[in-house]
Amino acid sequence: MKNLLKHHETYVLLVIIIFSAIITVINPRFLTLENFFDVVKSYSFIGILAVGVTFVLISGGIDISFTAVATVAQYVMAVMIIRYGGNIFTAFLLAAAVGISLGLINATLIYFFNIPTIITTIATLNIYYGILIVISGGKWIYALPGWFRAFADIRLFTLCTDEGIKYGLSIITSIWILVVIIAWVILRYTKLGRGIYAMGGSMNAARRAGFNIFRTQMFVYSFTGLMAGLAGLVQALLVQTVAPNSIVGKELDVIAAVVLGGASLAGGVGTLFGTILGVTLIAIMSNGMTLMRVSSFWYNVFIGLIIILSVAFSAYQRRTKAKRAIAVEVE
Amino acid sequence: MFNQKWLKVTLIVGFIFLLALPLFGGGGKEVKEKYEIVTVVKITGIPWFNRLEEGVKQAATDLDVNSYQLGPADADPAQQVKIVEDLISKGVDAICVVPNDAKALEPAFAKAKDKGIIILTHESPDQKGKDYDIELIDNVEFGRHHWDKLVEFMGDSGEYAIFVGSLTVPLHNLWADEGLKWAKEKYPNLKLVTKRIPCGEDQELSKRKTMELLKAYPNLKGIVGFGSLGPPGAAQALKEKGLCGKVTIVGTVIPGHAAPYLKEGCMQWGILWDPKDAGYSLTWVAKELLEGRKISDGMQVPGVGKVDLDGDVIKVDAMADITPDNVDGFGF
Repeated sequence: MKNLLKHHETYVLLVIIIFSAIITVINPRFLTLENFFDVVKSYSFIGILAVGVTFVLISGGIDISFTAVATVAQYVMAVMIIRYGGNIFTAFLLAAAVGISLGLINATLIYFFNIPTIITTIATLNIYYGILIVISGGKWIYALPGWFRAFADIRLFTLCTDEGIKYGLSIITSIWILVVIIAWVILRYTKLGRGIYAMGGSMNAARRAGFNIFRTQMFVYSFTGLMAGLAGLVQALLVQTVAPNSIVGKELDVIAAVVLGGASLAGGVGTLFGTILGVTLIAIMSNGMTLMRVSSFWYNVFIGLIIILSVAFSAYQRRTKAKRAIAVEVE
Repeated sequence: MFNQKWLKVTLIVGFIFLLALPLFGGGGKEVKEKYEIVTVVKITGIPWFNRLEEGVKQAATDLDVNSYQLGPADADPAQQVKIVEDLISKGVDAICVVPNDAKALEPAFAKAKDKGIIILTHESPDQKGKDYDIELIDNVEFGRHHWDKLVEFMGDSGEYAIFVGSLTVPLHNLWADEGLKWAKEKYPNLKLVTKRIPCGEDQELSKRKTMELLKAYPNLKGIVGFGSLGPPGAAQALKEKGLCGKVTIVGTVIPGHAAPYLKEGCMQWGILWDPKDAGYSLTWVAKELLEGRKISDGMQVPGVGKVDLDGDVIKVDAMADITPDNVDGFGF
């Protein structure tokens, strides 16, 4: 029990539980499987982006360009499958390849020029997005192939409400779940994963400990690129419209969710479980507001309050711990 | 060593590029003699304003002016103000604006007036600091028409919701105000379930909000969507829940985008005007004013329609209904 209280995640989880209880009391339809499956499907796009951002934050860097990477990957994928045909696997490969390549460009710039990651990725965000707008002219794509539409409708299993409304575990959600599992294994059980934490803690210490900084950094940014590419594909599956301006601008929402989940902007700290909780909290706040019939005018106020509340819990806990630590030293 | 060398090379190449920039903008002198009329839209790279740009470009050739379109990358009022201010410093002849936030633009418009730059707006009839506003629809009529169509499909009683692009978009909120007044008078049994929801410029968000509304208000029978991405997002949510036709969706949409939803019956009725006409009319009016002519009742905007002058608001009626049968005939 004591051990649990040391983790930031415990406090976020606590806020989620309290908040869910309140919503459920006001509208019991919140705590239904149907709503659960709908929400996790809607948030699979943000969720996948958040996995990528978690990796970068742990490694001690930051990536702002991931929304532009997602947009470019999505657009290239859509244009190619419309022009040359293909199937869902080619769509995946295309989005992944574009994502990884753009991520590698980020990593190369960051490693060789040694510019702060935030500056580099703000610059590449503008470059990637700018080039896309120049080439595409901002044209939207609606006419996605039939198989692409059909794939988005697949459910791994289907249930039915009393009113006859069908719902279930969407294939889109399962992409998110799969991504989280793979990312979790990498972070937790591979040397590469330990290297990412070490690098975020202290670059020099990691280098002396024998971690290959170049390779680790290349991996981190290309992995974030890959996540962005997949997220772009997932977003296209969700809305069946490819609009170049629909993703860029959501960077801070995603970074906020990840930081809410306990990852530190200073690097070296963060878990995937925390990130999932962060995304969950953001998701149920938005969902819960409507379900509690709160007027949309109040959304932003509540969202701000709850972010402060959940961060304050663990900040307070950390402070008391720090105080105690000083007391011991004095003795 | 390696790093420094590359940095130098990059800097030198960049510097040379900057020096060479004026070469690309050649022929500046000839262009100067033409009127420079700039249209600033809410956001670039969306179909609505791409279509508007076609009108601006057509006016450039037809009217022999130097007219072009600019806009921020996302619908951010601050960025739009910045663009307008840059144009004022540049000293263009006229600026036509489709405002993101009417209030935010007022100081910039005052500055333009001091410099003698003509300011026209579109979709912002109550704008302060403008010379004229141009509307291709009668906004009161446009708002009411949505409610009339909503009632035609869902009946004159029941619960419904409203989507707007954001709470500061002047026209969306004006239509909503007018429609709500009309409903109070004519359809007293309609019940608005919650305040207007700002999601109409984001399809993913509109879809999500519709899903949530369906759970929060199980008796929901209709949605009026302003902002071209609201209705398609709502229609998609209905399709996913198998509720097409059970909840009525009417609103402003791009015909090409809404076509599948209208044909599947997931959306019932679209209403709008052709933004290309707006782009053309703005530039046309600007040129008339620059050449010292007055705008008067009954004047003809070539290829668009007759002017109905109401104070400093120029109305040209060009409202269009979009139905499953005519949706393919719009060409955008």
